[in-house]
Amino acid sequence: MENTDSNGICEELVFSGFFKANVKSLRNYLYFKFGNEEKANDITQDSFIKLWENCKSVPLEKAKSYLYTIANNASLNEIAHNKVVLKYAQNNVNKDRTNLSPEFLIEEEEFKHKLEKAIAKLTEAQRTAFLLHRIEGKKYHEIAVMLDISVKAVEKRIHGALITLRSEIEQFR
Amino acid sequence: MSTKEENYELAKWLAGEMTEKELSAFQQTPEYATYAKIAEYSSQLEAPVFDADSLYQKTISHKKATPKVIPLYQSKWMKIAAVFVVLLGLTFFFRTTFTTTELAENGKKISFSLPDNSQIVLNSGSEIHYKKWNWDSNRKLDLDGEAYFKVAHGKKFEVNTKLGKVTVLGTQFDVKSRNNRFDVTCYEGRVKVQYKDTQVIITKGTSVSFDADFFERQRITNTKPEWTSNQIIFRKENLKTIMEELERQYDCEIVLNSEKNTQLFTGTLPSDNIKTALEIITSTFHLKISNFENQKYILEDF
Repeated sequence: MENTDSNGICEELVFSGFFKANVKSLRNYLYFKFGNEEKANDITQDSFIKLWENCKSVPLEKAKSYLYTIANNASLNEIAHNKVVLKYAQNNVNKDRTNLSPEFLIEEEEFKHKLEKAIAKLTEAQRTAFLLHRIEGKKYHEIAVMLDISVKAVEKRIHGALITLRSEIEQFR
Repeated sequence: MSTKEENYELAKWLAGEMTEKELSAFQQTPEYATYAKIAEYSSQLEAPVFDADSLYQKTISHKKATPKVIPLYQSKWMKIAAVFVVLLGLTFFFRTTFTTTELAENGKKISFSLPDNSQIVLNSGSEIHYKKWNWDSNRKLDLDGEAYFKVAHGKKFEVNTKLGKVTVLGTQFDVKSRNNRFDVTCYEGRVKVQYKDTQVIITKGTSVSFDADFFERQRITNTKPEWTSNQIIFRKENLKTIMEELERQYDCEIVLNSEKNTQLFTGTLPSDNIKTALEIITSTFHLKISNFENQKYILEDF
């Protein structure tokens, strides 16, 4: 059983499927952590290369945690961080809101701007957990596996992030 | 709301895990509006895009570049080995399946054995083609010229010539197929000879000769062809045929400047002494050797 699984990830088709399913989460996680695209891409690639090289000793069901362990270890030496730059999705927001008042739109833009600034002020731990949940749509237990912490700890970080964000935003008022 | 005792309820709310009661209570708080906005707008955020495909290509091709990659190394040598195996196989295939040719040039005689140990002596200027593949159950060969066969017992043995076909089961016989003349002599056992529409079976000590307008059956006394012991025997053959046979035996050229050579010759000539052979011919046909140089003889009327 384990044998077939470990052969599984060495199959290029299986590996490519695994890669596609996980590359975006890993890379964005690293980006949320460092705020540096290049670094995030490099560590993502290195982690997948290590997995590919050691595919024989890594069973498929352990591949994901293996991948994040590699990435986390590689990140230990990296010092954070540039400002995390995020964009708002363009197309899904305004379509059904075209008849809103200009005042509202201006207010909305202002809020968005404030939110960005507030996110930049979060701690690395809070920011990573919060953005994985909001942008990547990860569940708390998934985030717990990625960060190698407990679900409770994830909840604490999210909770803390929300409080910080609100107080930052309301300060600007 | 104080944060300490909330048991991270903001996290619960964000994950949609609040009970309805908790939720409606939370919605009454003044902070709710901001939290709701944070939740809404933060979900519209996007990380900068990146090229996952090129990242994948780099990952996959990286493995090929590493020296760890044993399969590639192995397969390279496997390829070379495979080429050798294929070549070896092809050589074997061609050697066995394709036609083998035995050729005795003018002035030479060769003897060889077939895969079933049948012995063949090939007279000068003769050629045999056969296939080694599956020889034992398909004993068939093509003959051009003259050859003496000692056939090992076994299945049907077939000799094909331009003029006729000889079929045997295991005997000793001689087949001669020159120009239009087809001679078969049987030294042991029985031989079936087919010439055009004619079919005859000859037994030990019999010889048959076919020509376009000529068929003859003869008794013979010797136990193997004279030419194998350096003698050439002619039975009612014209001068032209004799000259050709001598040319083959001695690998020389004989030019005949004579009109009257219609007589048929029966007799024996040596195949290892051209002088004696030509003397016999010249005295029989009233000719003389007018000139000879570089293996070229010119015969004229006496």
